[in-house]
Amino acid sequence: MAKDDNEKEYEIEYSEPVGILAAQSVGEPGTQMILRSFHFAGIESAIATSGLPRIVELVDAKKKPATPITYVYLSGSAGKNVEEADRIAKKINEVKMSTLVKRTVENFSKGTIKILLSKQELESEELTLGQVADRIQKVMKVEARAEDRYVLVKIHTKNLKEIRSTGVKLMKAVISGIEGAGKAVIQRDKKSGEFYIIAAGSNIEGILTVDGVDKSRIYTNDVFAMYRVFGIEAARNAIAKELSTTLDEQKISVDIRHLLLIADAMTAGGTIKGVGRHGLSGQKNSVFAKAAYEETVKHLINAAAFGEVDPMKGVTENILVGKQIPIGTGSVRLAIKKEDMSRAKPR
Amino acid sequence: MADEKEKGRCYLYLNGRIIGYLSDPEGYVAEVRAARRRGLISGEVNVAYLKKLNAVNVNTDRGRIRKPYIIVENKVPKLTAEIGEKIRKKEVDFNYLVRNGIVEYLDAEEEENALVAFSESDITDATTHMEVDVAAIFGFTINTSPFPEHNNLARHAMLANFTKQAEGMYLSNFNLRFDSRAYLLFYPQAPVVTTKAYDGINIQHHPSGQNFVVALSTYYGYNMADAVVVNKAAVDRGLGRSVFYKTYVDEERRYPGGQKDRFKMPPPTAEGYMGEHVYAKLSDDGIIEPEMHVEEGEALIGKVAPPRFLEENIGAGGLEEKMRDDSTVLKTGESGEVDSVVFTESTGATKIVKVRVRSLRVPEKGDKFASRHGQKGVIAMVVPQEDMPFTSEGVIPDLMLNPHSIPTRLTFGHLLETLAGKAGAVTGKIVDGTAFAEKGSVRMEEYSRALESHGFDRNGEELLYDGITGRPFKSQIFTGVVYYNRLYHMVSNKIQVRSRGKVQILTHQPTEGKARQGALRFGEMERDALIGYGASLLLKERLLDQSDKAEVLICKECGDIGYYDRIKKVAICPLCNSNSFAEVEISYAFKILLDEIKSLHILPSIKLNQ
Repeated sequence: MAKDDNEKEYEIEYSEPVGILAAQSVGEPGTQMILRSFHFAGIESAIATSGLPRIVELVDAKKKPATPITYVYLSGSAGKNVEEADRIAKKINEVKMSTLVKRTVENFSKGTIKILLSKQELESEELTLGQVADRIQKVMKVEARAEDRYVLVKIHTKNLKEIRSTGVKLMKAVISGIEGAGKAVIQRDKKSGEFYIIAAGSNIEGILTVDGVDKSRIYTNDVFAMYRVFGIEAARNAIAKELSTTLDEQKISVDIRHLLLIADAMTAGGTIKGVGRHGLSGQKNSVFAKAAYEETVKHLINAAAFGEVDPMKGVTENILVGKQIPIGTGSVRLAIKKEDMSRAKPR
Repeated sequence: MADEKEKGRCYLYLNGRIIGYLSDPEGYVAEVRAARRRGLISGEVNVAYLKKLNAVNVNTDRGRIRKPYIIVENKVPKLTAEIGEKIRKKEVDFNYLVRNGIVEYLDAEEEENALVAFSESDITDATTHMEVDVAAIFGFTINTSPFPEHNNLARHAMLANFTKQAEGMYLSNFNLRFDSRAYLLFYPQAPVVTTKAYDGINIQHHPSGQNFVVALSTYYGYNMADAVVVNKAAVDRGLGRSVFYKTYVDEERRYPGGQKDRFKMPPPTAEGYMGEHVYAKLSDDGIIEPEMHVEEGEALIGKVAPPRFLEENIGAGGLEEKMRDDSTVLKTGESGEVDSVVFTESTGATKIVKVRVRSLRVPEKGDKFASRHGQKGVIAMVVPQEDMPFTSEGVIPDLMLNPHSIPTRLTFGHLLETLAGKAGAVTGKIVDGTAFAEKGSVRMEEYSRALESHGFDRNGEELLYDGITGRPFKSQIFTGVVYYNRLYHMVSNKIQVRSRGKVQILTHQPTEGKARQGALRFGEMERDALIGYGASLLLKERLLDQSDKAEVLICKECGDIGYYDRIKKVAICPLCNSNSFAEVEISYAFKILLDEIKSLHILPSIKLNQ
């Protein structure tokens, strides 16, 4: 397609305050979001945080999202075969000891812990007592044996504290699946009919080690996990995508370029930074702009201690002192001094 | 142990505290109720069996909202025709019914155990009570609205608010009172369309509105979006005319050290003397006389007070000479006549003066009116009578309401009232508009017949002629009589303008608020809008030139702020004693910021570019 001659007109011009425009474009619809926070039925969105709390979580660059979710697509024939997909899901599905246990009995004189397991849970996770015992032995590095209805763990000590803490640690042991992958459920794409897996965790490093997982299509709403595995560019796209889907869910339409700008600003330094006082705002190079935002005295004292100089290049500090701001009309300067104009010769 | 005891039993709570367990909760509740109806225990005791919570709640404490119901036993209401006749003859009163187990009060919790029938025909086997009146399902306030069953509930909430704000005859002894603010309607009328609730509030003696002739029509776009148009001649005749009383109070306070305030004409030597014109209307004792016209800024009560701070040089002249003016002055935007002046004494034996100022409030553009259906409107135009539409009989509406305001708000009671009011007006009878008194269609038919018999259109429509062109309107216009309240929100109390004006001493920025003749704040979000648009010079004008611009001298040597010594006629830097300065425009707020930073023992310095 030929380039539109008018394309230039749609480009952002020098000194256009894109940040404020992005903030206003997200902020104004955001005010409506608080009022109508409705919930949907269904697994996917019922688990995920949505609406304003989710936006805040993203923009503040929270290390762990409140509800991490990973979308695992399957390579080869697994995407079309339920049994195969189910097998892979079983491999991913994280089963913690605590979900299987019915009751524990500690014997302090013998240094053993008797663990009574729920038959129902074992059946639903397709595990046997022997498998559980083997797994405990491997993970916890203790002696474990399957007896007729329970698992007997032997700890060669009579230290009460040690026995008790081993018991607590045992509950957290991952018996099967990938640690940090959470509960994995098979879903079917309504359009293509393809099977995929939704996991309620964000350990994509671990999930990627499972055979049959499509490494090119895995996605998680945990932007830090995306950053760790795929790098900063992927994290930037993930932030923009997450913002966009969260807004779409609430039927709020914001131009994607505003969201991309926010994502760009958050990731420009090579790591994910929030927009708050510990992130972007704290990194302004104007003392006054920082002091005007939060923790005024701290910034002023720091500036005094290190003899900082405010270059007066930003908007906030220029408004503060009463100068014209270097935006829009204020971004234009005379290239030649008035006095020199008289000496200029006409061609 | 407790488990064994509780097993299969029901908790018994008295005012929210567990006092025991019951094995037969239903029997217990029935027993308590029977005892209450027989008068063996107080009628203020309520008992409820809450199955879901497995609990019986007995409540006897104060603050519960309760409502009377007629008791129904074996499908027969206890209020028989016989007793009804006795009530009519005033042989027995309501308390008799309560005492004899005919009527009982239920609280919110006991209502959960009751099945209440609206009327005798609704009674089934399970019915336990019957409403005293069907209209009682609404509260008292909503029942002041005619035909409330035809309106949206949200509008009832608004009606409840507007009722509180209506002007009327709030008390008949208003002339003897010195309320700090009082509004009084000149010609209050009882509504043509009343309800049973009005019997209880003595509406004849304390009406709160007037019956307006209302045409439901647009008027050249002047009654768009909840605006209304009123007839100038009607206003001149006293429609919605009211008076506003405001009382100013001052006291001769005593201070520690034997000093005290004194009511008197402040001498020009007093500190804070506002000028001769301010005190011109005060009489010799320093207090204004009744029936004096006063304008804003004029003194009502002259008073001098001792100086705020004790100064060293008391002595020779004594305290008499040093006095501070502390007179009471009419606030900005207010004016009126002094209605009454009262001298009295406080409990602390100090003199008190109360001055009541009266100001006439003729309805004008911007004043607020509301009907009894949560339909409020603001006058957008006072139209000369000759320009208003008229009927062939010469009837000219007092008020024109935009018909678009009815369907979206679902206030069909407004339409019913219009028709009922018109029927009442032509027949000369008060119309009852109590909720559920009769079906809407039955009532409509009644009003239509009344109108027809007096030669009016049965639907209440009129052929109106345009007052400007003289031609009849293409469609007939629904016209009738509606009771309107004038609400106390008036422009004359709220209007405020300013171009340049007062500034705050500390910041040099414009003041805020009507009382201080303040400006409107150009806030952060407005600031963002200008930045977003790139209008940097406009932004600078708003935030600097029109606000707290200051010109300061900045030392070229050390960057501190210097000052101009007018005696030596030279600019001096207090830090380095240099004399070379640049004159720089900054915001005064920034100057304060620098001062405050200095107070933190941090030395800021300004580097100049040229």
